[in-house]
Amino acid sequence: MTGAQLVLKVLQQHGIKHVFGYPGGAIMPIYDAFYDSDLKHFLCRHEQGAAFSAVGYARSTNGVGVCMATSGPGATNLVTGLADALLDSIPVVAITGQVFSSLMGTDAFQEVDVLGMSLAVTKHSFLVEDINDLAKILHEAFELAQSGRPGPVLVDIPKDIQIGQVDFEPYPIPTRVLPEFNLADVEAAKALIQQAKNPVAYIGGGVGMADAVDELNEFLQATQIPAVSTLKGLGTIAPDYPYYTGMIGMHGTKASNLAVQECDLLICIGARFDDRVTGKLDTFAPNAKVIHLDIDVAEFGKLRQPDVAIKGDFKQLIPALKTKVDITPWQAKISALNVEHAWRYDAPGEGVFAPALLNELSQRLPTNHVVSCDVGQHQMWVAQHMSFTSPYNHLSSGGAGTMGFGLPVAIGAQIARPNTTSVVVTGDGSFMMNIQELGTIKRFNLPIKIVLLDNQRLGMVKQWQELFFEERYSETNLSDNPDFVALARAFDLTAKTIHSKFEVSDAITQMLETDGPYLLHVVIDDKENVWPLVAPGKANHEMIEG
Amino acid sequence: MIRHRFNIVAKQQPATVERVLRVVRHRGFILQSVNVSSSDKAQVEIELTVSGERPIETLQTQLDKLYDIAHLELISADTAAQAASIRA
Repeated sequence: MTGAQLVLKVLQQHGIKHVFGYPGGAIMPIYDAFYDSDLKHFLCRHEQGAAFSAVGYARSTNGVGVCMATSGPGATNLVTGLADALLDSIPVVAITGQVFSSLMGTDAFQEVDVLGMSLAVTKHSFLVEDINDLAKILHEAFELAQSGRPGPVLVDIPKDIQIGQVDFEPYPIPTRVLPEFNLADVEAAKALIQQAKNPVAYIGGGVGMADAVDELNEFLQATQIPAVSTLKGLGTIAPDYPYYTGMIGMHGTKASNLAVQECDLLICIGARFDDRVTGKLDTFAPNAKVIHLDIDVAEFGKLRQPDVAIKGDFKQLIPALKTKVDITPWQAKISALNVEHAWRYDAPGEGVFAPALLNELSQRLPTNHVVSCDVGQHQMWVAQHMSFTSPYNHLSSGGAGTMGFGLPVAIGAQIARPNTTSVVVTGDGSFMMNIQELGTIKRFNLPIKIVLLDNQRLGMVKQWQELFFEERYSETNLSDNPDFVALARAFDLTAKTIHSKFEVSDAITQMLETDGPYLLHVVIDDKENVWPLVAPGKANHEMIEG
Repeated sequence: MIRHRFNIVAKQQPATVERVLRVVRHRGFILQSVNVSSSDKAQVEIELTVSGERPIETLQTQLDKLYDIAHLELISADTAAQAASIRA
């Protein structure tokens, strides 16, 4: 068979059924192979859309997503999606066509040094130089993307390799060897937990990625230790866990931030002390000893020195940490913080209060749903006011904070989970960043529900200009936005605009009861900001509220 | 400024050396010297001297994660002051 046919065969060996991509000159042999293949290719309308759809596919299933692009501009357009996947540790395999080997280095048409370009945005990348290495490299790419700390892997395949002849051989998928942890370290960690009077578990995205959501919740149920979540960890801790205080960090809950600032032991599980979590680092959890559990030892001591650090697979490691604690006064304090700082939705006026809308939407979504969002104010409102029962149901660009994430990620999620209600919450700035993917939604008639919160501003930047740049609103006014309803209709999607909070309930009903794709365009007040907020350079207990 | 030396044995792959040098720069270290040699087609040896203010473990663990690196050894850590005293 040809190298191109081999590529698709190897994808199928790894259980891949769907691929997102965009054809072009240097990857035409692979697209020709699709013509006769059972593998389903989804044509996106921009390579960035393909990369993000692969991210959505991976995140919503805790599996691997695959995207493809041609050489040169096709490959460069993948870069943002790969960078996003790298920062959020998402297993994506990207396959790029490359010009003929004989032309590489001659500035040939659509030639970019994709291997060189990939170094900063992938976990690893390969250039295939010999057709006899092609299968082995692809197998390595899948293994690397998913093992240890997951991440994106790129395989660049010159056109002569794609059209060359090669034998196909069966490949037994190797059993993954999980790291063994040190029992003495576990005992040291348990001793710290037993001694603690005010412990807090700080839960990141790593728990879901390790498929250890159940183990984590059993640990919390057994110990009744208060718990906070990062943005990427949302959905991991059961929402009804009584000592769960919500998200931590810059736009976290006051209860979470105060609990962490006061704790004497921080049990960090699959999180990485990101600056959006810690605020001013040397003031973060100032009295706490730290237990840090992760699959990646490079996270230990990178920003906060742990007292005990354990590398391990969470499915084994978390249950091993179960121990008895006596923290009744602390639990009472956490409960009081939750009551004192509960969200309020009683906004004045007739306009739509976005947090209230999202809270109602969250309550009315079927259990089997997945929400993706873009980046900005609406993203934080989703994190604050929607409730998730699985980390695979909340898809948000954490590390990279990539505008344009939501729409293509929802496409990937909807294709991966066809019986799930896939909802995008977006803003008027972000929506325009990958607006072309409305074409993909229409092409495959994906029943995605889009909630567009439109304040005619780049709201989060505008909020910072208001608070920290003396109200100098440089380049954040989007009052010349297009007519979004007309735009949706141009793609043959059903769309509606609402302006008043009295329209919200009926609009949600109508959206959810519509069979196909739907755009709910929600006009909101540009003065509404995200609260609470930890200002840059401040400690987390110095949160400000509007 | 503290200087550190690494001896690295890596697979001979496209971009192996670039990967190592990129990580050194990105993680906040300055390249003082690098010597690359290849005794066979499959392997490359890299001797690397770097300096930086950050804990060397932050670089060591990041380099260690590179897929092409088969063996990584942190050889010595001498301070600029010690180096100056040797020169004197």
